[in-house]
Amino acid sequence: MPSSKLSGDVRRSDVEWAAQVAAGDTAAFEALYRQHAGRLFNLASRMSGSANAEDVLQEVFLLAYRKIGSYRGESSLGTWLYRLAMNHCLDVVRSRQSRMAQVTDSFDEPEAAPPAAPGPPLGTVSRIDLERAIEELPPACRAAFLLHDVEGFGHGEVAAILGISDGTSKSQVHKARLRIRQYLGGR
Amino acid sequence: MKGPQSMSLSCHELPVAAYLDRDLTIDEERTVERHLDGCAACRALVSDLRTVRGAAFTLDRREPPADLLARVQARLAAEPAPARRGLAWPNTPAAWATWLAAAATLVIATMMGVWPLWRPAPELPVAPPTGAALVESVEADLRAAETHYDRAIDGLQQIARSDSGELDPQVAAVLQKNLQVVDQAIDESRAALRTEPTSVPAQDGLFEAMRTKVALLQQTVELINEMRKGNQAEAGRLMQDLSR
Repeated sequence: MPSSKLSGDVRRSDVEWAAQVAAGDTAAFEALYRQHAGRLFNLASRMSGSANAEDVLQEVFLLAYRKIGSYRGESSLGTWLYRLAMNHCLDVVRSRQSRMAQVTDSFDEPEAAPPAAPGPPLGTVSRIDLERAIEELPPACRAAFLLHDVEGFGHGEVAAILGISDGTSKSQVHKARLRIRQYLGGR
Repeated sequence: MKGPQSMSLSCHELPVAAYLDRDLTIDEERTVERHLDGCAACRALVSDLRTVRGAAFTLDRREPPADLLARVQARLAAEPAPARRGLAWPNTPAAWATWLAAAATLVIATMMGVWPLWRPAPELPVAPPTGAALVESVEADLRAAETHYDRAIDGLQQIARSDSGELDPQVAAVLQKNLQVVDQAIDESRAALRTEPTSVPAQDGLFEAMRTKVALLQQTVELINEMRKGNQAEAGRLMQDLSR
């Protein structure tokens, strides 16, 4: 798994870093962007669609700049930024869904996992099919899956970013894998 | 999960997620594996979920466009630094002049108040601040503000230049002419400040011209963005603004 860079004893330097950004230090802001923009762009494009990813990423960094004064070091600066980004992505997706009158899901009400059923093995999964299957996931479930299985965050980090318990993170990721299997296998 | 001594688990009891994520003890893993040995359905499920997890981890990495940071910085240039909002960091020429005058007054007043109480050791005499030092401090603040504007302008110019081919030639010509006028004003203000660094009208003129340039470039980038999105109505409105 890739290093998440969200854990460790980095709070003091994160608080100083945030203070520099808040004071208008453009180099500190640029460093924050360069450290996290790639991963956030991946998340944004898979959460809210490739066409919206640039706008979403811009908004995330503008929001971060405006709100960085509220960062107190309770979590790492990375966790704080990813939480802000995922909340924004979920807002974008849910707002689009509500316009389309679709039913949204929630982290608080995990639905029962689809039952296991025998069938031919999946074999090799094409990336295009997998991307489509991910798009079909409910937003909350997709967020947990992307953070854990695609980006490589641990369940503790996923929980901190999404504001849920470790157990909910685990059940959401499992639910996502089951749904993707169902989608890919047509079962 | 049942204890490791439990020899059999039903399919519904199987902790598949924990097994996949290696979140079980060795004994619990063995119990799961015993079940998998005798259950084709659960074996297929575990295998498929492993495939999904493996495929997810190898999905391609997408990179944000190289100019995205410049676009974010350009939008930020129009905003005050967040930590300073409560202190009303100056954002107009008049406010700059007031702020600098207040800062200078505060420094002088503080030094005048504190100086009689100061008892420096004879071997370490401390020189009081001079007028030249104050001017230097004010100049440093001005240079910092100027650098802030310069960076914003550089970022915006980079975007505007790379995408200017998308602009209507007539709009591009008007924009170019306006930018030349603004650049001339910036040059004149800088020349005046070189002669008289503390001149408030020259400072006002410089920051006003730089702000105008930022606004012009921001409008240009906004126009290019709207044209890319195919938002003709908004692009038309922006073109009219720019053509004035």
